[in-house]
Amino acid sequence: MAGAIIENMSTKKLVILGVTLLLFQALAFMVGGLIAPSPTSAVEYLTTKCVDKDKDGLKTKWFMPWGGNQCKKIRTFDEATAQKIEANHIVFAAHIPMQKKEMSPWFQFILVILQFEIAFSMSNPIVDGAVVTIDASLAYRDDLISEWTEMAHSLEHRNLNCNFTSEKTADNEGRYYKCDLVPFMEVGSVAHKYYLINIRLPVKDRKTINNGIGEIRDIRLVSIHQNGGFTQVWFAMKTFLTPSILIIMIWYWRRITLMTRPPVLLEKVIFALGISMTFINIPVEWFSVGFNWTWMLLFGDIRQGIFYSMLLSFWIIFCGEHLMDQTERNRFSVYWKQVGPIVFGSFCLFIFDMCERGVQLTNPFYSIWASDVGTELAMSFIFVAGICACLYFLFLCFMVFQVFRNISGKRTSLPAMSKARRLHYEGLIFRFKFLMLVTLTCAAMTIIFFIISQVNEGHWHWGDRTVQVNSAFFTGIYGMWNLYVFAIMFLYAPSHKCYGNDQSSGQCIAGDGGATSGEDIQLTTTITHVDGPTEIYKMTGKEAQE
Amino acid sequence: MSEDLVLRCALMLCCALLSVSASNWLYLAKLSSVGSIRDEETCERLRGLIQRQVQICKRSVEVMDAVRRGAQLAIDECQFQFRNRRWNCSTLETMPVFGKVVTQGTREAAFVYAISAASVAFAVTRACSSGELEKCGCDHNVHGVSPEGFQWSGCSDNIAYGVAFSQSFVDVRERGKGQSSSRALMNLHNNEAGRKAILSHMRVECKCHGVSGSCEVKTCWKAMPPFRKVGNIIKEKFDGATEVEQRKVGSTKVLVPRNSQFKPHTDEDLVYLEPSPDFCDHDPRTPGMLGTVGRQCNRTSKAIDGCELMCCGRGFQTQEVEVVDRCSCKFHWCCYVKCKQCRKMVEIHTCR
Repeated sequence: MAGAIIENMSTKKLVILGVTLLLFQALAFMVGGLIAPSPTSAVEYLTTKCVDKDKDGLKTKWFMPWGGNQCKKIRTFDEATAQKIEANHIVFAAHIPMQKKEMSPWFQFILVILQFEIAFSMSNPIVDGAVVTIDASLAYRDDLISEWTEMAHSLEHRNLNCNFTSEKTADNEGRYYKCDLVPFMEVGSVAHKYYLINIRLPVKDRKTINNGIGEIRDIRLVSIHQNGGFTQVWFAMKTFLTPSILIIMIWYWRRITLMTRPPVLLEKVIFALGISMTFINIPVEWFSVGFNWTWMLLFGDIRQGIFYSMLLSFWIIFCGEHLMDQTERNRFSVYWKQVGPIVFGSFCLFIFDMCERGVQLTNPFYSIWASDVGTELAMSFIFVAGICACLYFLFLCFMVFQVFRNISGKRTSLPAMSKARRLHYEGLIFRFKFLMLVTLTCAAMTIIFFIISQVNEGHWHWGDRTVQVNSAFFTGIYGMWNLYVFAIMFLYAPSHKCYGNDQSSGQCIAGDGGATSGEDIQLTTTITHVDGPTEIYKMTGKEAQE
Repeated sequence: MSEDLVLRCALMLCCALLSVSASNWLYLAKLSSVGSIRDEETCERLRGLIQRQVQICKRSVEVMDAVRRGAQLAIDECQFQFRNRRWNCSTLETMPVFGKVVTQGTREAAFVYAISAASVAFAVTRACSSGELEKCGCDHNVHGVSPEGFQWSGCSDNIAYGVAFSQSFVDVRERGKGQSSSRALMNLHNNEAGRKAILSHMRVECKCHGVSGSCEVKTCWKAMPPFRKVGNIIKEKFDGATEVEQRKVGSTKVLVPRNSQFKPHTDEDLVYLEPSPDFCDHDPRTPGMLGTVGRQCNRTSKAIDGCELMCCGRGFQTQEVEVVDRCSCKFHWCCYVKCKQCRKMVEIHTCR
C-alpha cells in the first residue's frame, strides 16, 4: 500500500479535515449530553403481599397489587400469622409500570433485580449457603381491562448471599441483613404496555425447600429500562451515521478497484473494518419498535463483538504491515498467532452470552449466575477471554515496540537512500505515527470517559442546564469510533498522486508488498546493504526461495 | 352533624393554640377505628390535625394512610430506641400522644420531632414504591409530568416526594406561627435533621448490564436505609444533641450553641432548648410523666438501664419468675412457627 491520501495531502487540508472531524466529535458529545436524557432509569417496586386463599374455591391466577380487581392484601406478616395464613398462600405482586404509566417499545429491554429484606432473628437466622426457591411468573396485557396473558413461568433457585454486620445478639433482632442483589429477570423487548410479576416462595418441609432463609419482611424489585428519549436519540444517531460510513466505504472500495494491482491485505482489512462498523450502525433496532423481537439484545451484543474483534485485528495487521523488516507478509495467515487470541476470546464471550441472553430468549428468569456450576462456567469463560485479551495486548505492544525500533533504525539510514525509497519509508513512518497518535487518543478518550461515567453520579449542572454525562459518554464514544473508521478509510485510501513530481520514471510505486515490481526488489536490495548482515541473510534466504 | 363539626374545628383550633408544640398529628397512629382514610370528609374527622394539615389531607387523601403508618412507625421506633431509658416513650390514649413530656423544648422532644418527620418521609416513599400513590417521583421532574415524560426520561426518585411531603405536612405547624419563636426554630431544625438522617444515608446500589453483562452500561439507584437504621442514627444524634439558644444575627433569628466553646451544630444534629427533667417520679400534673416505679432494670449494667440509675437510687426488688420460652423451633420464612415450650427460672429486677 503506497501513497495513501494522508501522505499526499497538504498540511492545510489535513488541518481542515481534523477540525471538521473534531466539530462532529463535539456534536456527538453534545447530542448525548444536552438532548438525550440519561441512558437508563431504574424504578423501585415494593411488592405487595397478596393472599392466595380461595375460600370460594375460585382460583385466581393473577394477583394485582392495586387498581381494579386487586388482591386481598396484608401489610405485615404478623397479620398473616394472626389470620393463620401460611407461607404458601403468600404471593408477592408487582405491577410494571406504576399507576397511570405505560411501558413503551422504546424502552428496549426490562431488567429486573430482586432484593430481599430479611430481618435478623436469633431463633430463625439465615443458614449458611441458603438457597431461595422462587416460583416466578410474568404476565402482560395491553389495556387496563382485559385478562392477563402469561408470558413466562419458572421455578428458579437463587443463592442468598446475606451477611449481618451487627453483632448477632437479641438486642439487634429486627435489624436487616445486608443481602446481595439477586438477578431476577431480563426481557429483550418491551412490546406490551403493562406487565405483572407474581412471586411465590413455596415451602416444602420434606424437601427442605425455602427452609432457613430467615424471616423475610419484604421483597423489593428494581426494574431497569432504557429511557425512551435516549433510544430515540441513539436511533437518530445511527440513522445519520449509517449512510456516512456507507458512502465513504463505497468510495474507498471504488478507489481500490480503480488501481491496476489487486488490493493488499491492509486495504482489505480497512474495508472489513468499514463493513463491521456499518453492520453495527445499521439501525435495525427501528424494527424493535414495531415488532416483538426479543433477540435484539443478543443481536446487538454480537454486532458489537464483531466490531471489537475487527478493530483489534486491524491494529495488529496495521502494525505488522508497517514493521519494515522486509519480511513478506500481506497474507492473513501470517497473523494467526496474534488474531487467534482475539477470535478465541470473542468466541468465549459469545458462548457466554449465548448461555445468558440466549437462554433468556426462552426463559426470561434464567440467569447463569444463579447456580454454582453456571457461575463457575461463566467465570471460566470470562477468565479465558481475559487471558486472550492480555495475550493480545502483549503481542500488540511487542509489535508496536518493534515498529518503533525499526523506525529509529531507518531514521539513521534515511539520508543515504534514493529519493523514491526515502519517500516511501518516510510515508510509512508518517502513516504509522499518525495512526498511532489517533488511536491512542481515541483509546485514551474512551478510557477517560468510561472512568468519568463510572465515578460520577450521572449528570452535571452547567448553568441552568443539566448535562447528562453518561449519555454524552455513549453518543460521544460511539461517534468517535465512527469518525475514527471514517478518517482511516478516507486518509488511508490509495492516492492517485505520485510521490514526487520529479521522479525520473514518472510512475507511482504500486505497492510495498503486494506487487513486487522490479523497482521494488531493486530498492530492497539497496537497503539491505545499509541494514547490515542480518538483512542480507534474510534477503539471501528469500532469493534462494525464489 | 355540622354543629359537631364546627365544635370540633373550634376545639382543634384551641388545641392547636394551647398545646403549641405537641406533635399532635402523631395521634393518627391511635385512630385505628377510622379505617382507611379514603375521602375528604374523613380528613375533617381526624383528631390531632391543625386546619392547614386538614387542607393538605383533603388535597392528597391517598397519602394519608401512609402518614398514619408513619406515625405508628415513629412511635414504635421511639419505644424501641428508648426501651432502656427512664422515659421509655410510653404513649397515652389521649392527645397529645406523649403527654406533656414533649411540650417543653427538651432533648426528648427533639428526638420525637426528628423521628416523626423522618417516619412520614419514609412511609410516604415506601407507599410510592408499592404503587399506592399516583404522584410520587414522577411529578417533580420537568420531563416527568405526563406519560410521555415518563417514556422520555423516566421518573426521579420517590424519596424526593416523600421528603417534600414530610416538609409540607409536618413543618406546617411551625411555619404557621411565624419564624420568631425559638421553639418553632428548634422544631423545624429537628424535623429537617430527622429527614437528613434518611437522605444522607441513602444506599447507592448499582447493576452492570452492558455487553455480556459488563460494566459498560451501569445503572445506579438510591435505596432507603431500613427504618431501624434511621432510628439508630437519630438516637446517636440524640445522645450528642446540642443545647442552643436563640440569638439575633442581622435581621434573622438563629439558634446558636449556648456554650460558645462548643462546635456549632450541623444540619444533621439535634438541638434542644431546655435540659430534660430526670423522669424519676410520677407527676400527675404532667401527663406522660410516669416515673420509673415498677420498671425492669438490669442489675449488672452501669448504664442508664442499670438498676442504680433507672431507679433513681430508690432501690429495686428482685423476683424469681418462671418464664415459658419457645425453644427448638421450626420456622418458615413467614407465618409458621412450631416450637416446644421450655420453662426456665429468671430473676427480674423492678424499681421500687
